Amino acid sequence: MSQIKLQNITKTYQVGEDALVAVQDVSLDIQSGDFISIVGHSGSGKTTLLSMIGGITTPTSGRISFEDTDLSAMGSDGLSEYRCRKIGFMFQFASLLPMLTVKENLLLPTMFVPEPERTYASKLDDKAAELLRSVGLLDKINAFPGQLSGGQQRRVAIARSFMNNPKLILADEPTGDLDEKTEQEMINFFKAMNRTEGITFVMVTHNSELARQTQRRLKMHQGSLQTLPSGE
Amino acid sequence: MPERFTLSSLAIRNLRRRPLRTTILIAALTLMVAALVFALSFVMRVNASIQLTSERLGADLLIVPTGARGAAEDILVESHARSFYMDKSIIERIRKVAGIDKLSHQTYLVSLIGMCCSVPESMVVAFNQETDFVVKPWLKNKLGRNLRKGEAIVGEESAFNISLGLVETETQLFGSPFKMVGVLDKTGSGLDTAIFISDDNIEDIIKNSDAKIKADQISVIFAKIKKGADAYKVMSEIENNIVEVDVVMRKDIGKSLLSALGDIRKIFYFTMILSTILSLFLVWAIFTAIANERTREVGIMRALGAKEGHVVKLFLFEVLVLGAIGSIAGIIVGTSLAVLLAKNFSILKNLPIDIGMLSRLLIAAAGLLFGTGICVLGALSPLNRLKKLEPLIAIKQE
Ligand SMILES: Nc1ncnc2c1ncn2[C@@H]1O[C@H](COP(=O)(O)OP(=O)(O)O)[C@@H](O)[C@H]1O
Ligand SMILES: [Mg+2]
Repeated sequence: MSQIKLQNITKTYQVGEDALVAVQDVSLDIQSGDFISIVGHSGSGKTTLLSMIGGITTPTSGRISFEDTDLSAMGSDGLSEYRCRKIGFMFQFASLLPMLTVKENLLLPTMFVPEPERTYASKLDDKAAELLRSVGLLDKINAFPGQLSGGQQRRVAIARSFMNNPKLILADEPTGDLDEKTEQEMINFFKAMNRTEGITFVMVTHNSELARQTQRRLKMHQGSLQTLPSGE
Repeated sequence: MPERFTLSSLAIRNLRRRPLRTTILIAALTLMVAALVFALSFVMRVNASIQLTSERLGADLLIVPTGARGAAEDILVESHARSFYMDKSIIERIRKVAGIDKLSHQTYLVSLIGMCCSVPESMVVAFNQETDFVVKPWLKNKLGRNLRKGEAIVGEESAFNISLGLVETETQLFGSPFKMVGVLDKTGSGLDTAIFISDDNIEDIIKNSDAKIKADQISVIFAKIKKGADAYKVMSEIENNIVEVDVVMRKDIGKSLLSALGDIRKIFYFTMILSTILSLFLVWAIFTAIANERTREVGIMRALGAKEGHVVKLFLFEVLVLGAIGSIAGIIVGTSLAVLLAKNFSILKNLPIDIGMLSRLLIAAAGLLFGTGICVLGALSPLNRLKKLEPLIAIKQE
C-alpha cells in the first residue's frame, strides 16, 4: 500500500478571465519511508503540489489518498486531523507566530491534538527541548521569533514540524536561508529522522547537491512532474 | 508539571499585541454598558417608586382642586412641599356620589419650621382625625388617643425628626408651639418628610400666623369606594358633576410624573440604541482589522492541524475577555454614576425608594450579557469568514 497516492492531479487557478494551470496531470506514488526531493524553477508548481498533498488546498481534478483514504472524503475537521497527526509542514516562508516564544511555537501544533490522545505537558516540554537541541537552538528556547535571525527562525520551524510525530514531512525549500554548513546539518537531521523514525520526506529544494543525496529525485516543469534518473 | 500552553493563553497573548486598539475597544464598551446600567437603574427606580406610592395609599381616589393634580403627585411621589385649596363644602357633594364609601380630608400647609439652622421647607398636613384612614395606619406606636391641639406626628424621614434624633420635643409651627408625640413608619411616599397635625389647629394657625389659608378650606379628599363599585365610573361621575375638582385614581398616581419621566426614558433608550449600533460597528471594524491582520497566522495554524472550531475558540475567547472587561468596567461606572447622580438630580433625589441590591445585580447581569453579546455579535462575521478560508489562501495573504 502506498502511503500517498496521487492520481491525475490537476490544479488550475482562475486569474481574471484566464485559467492558470499550476499543476497538470500529476500522478505519483509515495511509499512510507521514502525520501523524495523535488527540484524545479520557481513557478513550476512545487508549492501547489505539496499543499495539495498536505490537504491545505484541494486539486481541481484528480484524486489524492493517504493510506487508501481519499482526502476529499475527509471533510474540514477530518483534514485538520490529518494535517495535525500525519503531516509535518515546513513552509517556504517564515511561519512562526510572533507573539509566541520559540518553545510555545513548538507546542502550538500539540494544542490541536484531540484531548484524549494528547501527551503530558511535561513530556511535550521535553520533546520541544530535544528537537531544539537537534537543530542547535536549545539556548533560544525562550526567545521570541523577532529576536532570531531568518535562518534561526527557519530551524525553529523545522523543529516544530516534528512535534506531533508526523508520518510525512512536506518540506518546501526548508533550507532556503541557511548557510551551507547548517544546511547540511539539517539534511543530516532529516536523514536521521527518516532512518530512525521511518518518517517519509518530500522536500522541495533548489540545491541540486542536496537533491543528489536523496533516494528519489523528481523535477517539476510547468506543472508537470518528471522523474530524474538517480545518481545524475 | 509545567503549565500547559493553551488556546486561552494564546488569546491573552493576542490581546496584548495591540494595547491601544484593545484599550479603545474596552473604553467604548465601558461607555456603552455604563449608559445602559445607568438608564436601567434610573428607569427601574422611577417605576418602583410610583408603584409603591400608589400601593400604600389607603385610598382609591384622590380628589384635589381643579388643576392641582400635578401638585398632588409632587407631594406623594416626589416629596415636594406644595399647597392648594378648595372649599370644605365639596366633601358633602362628593359623599352623594354613588359608590363612595369613606371620605377623609386633609389640608396642606407649607411652613418654614422655626428651628435654628437650615431646616428645609416642610409640608405640614392638617388631617381630620374623625375620618382619617390615611395617616394613622402608619403610626409607629399606637397613640391610643386622638392628637390634641399643639401635638404633631412626624414622618419617618422628616428633616425635623432626623435633625433632632428624638421625638419628645417642641417646635414652633406657624407661631405656635407644637409637641411631637409620634412618628410614622416609612410610607415610602412623599409623606415621609411631612409633619402631621390635627385640623383643629387650623383656626389658631390662621389667627397666629400669616399663612394664606381661610377657615373651611381643605386641600385634598381621600376616597374609598364601595366594594364592587367601578372606580372609573365613580371618578367620571365626580369629575362630571363637580367642576371644582380633579380626581386621581390610585393607579394613575404618578402618571404625569411618569409621562415626564417617559420622555427622559425615551432619550435614554435612543442613546442606548445609538451607542449600541456604534459599538457594534466599532467591534465589527476592529475585529475585521484583527482578522485581516492575522489571516496568515490562522492559515499557518490551520496547516498545523487547527480545526475551524479551534480558530473560533481562540477568537471567541479573546472577544469574551474583551467583552467581560468592558462590561464589568461599564457596570462599575454606570452604577457609580447612578448612585452619585441620584444625590444631585432633583428628580431622582426626591423619589421615595431606591432600587434594591437584587435589582442592581439584575441590572449588572443585563449589562454583562449585553456588553459581551455586542462583542460576540460584532465579531461574528469576520470570524466566520476567517475560519472558512482555505489554509493555503490564508497563508499566502499578506
Ligand atoms: N493563489 C494563486 N492564484 C493564482 N495563481 C497562483 C496562485 N498560487 C500560485 N499561483 C501560480 O501557480 C503557479 C505555481 O505556483 P507555485 O506552486 O507557488 O510554484 P513554485 O512553488 O514551484 O514556485 C505559479 O505560476 C503561480 O504564479
Ligand atoms: Mg514555492
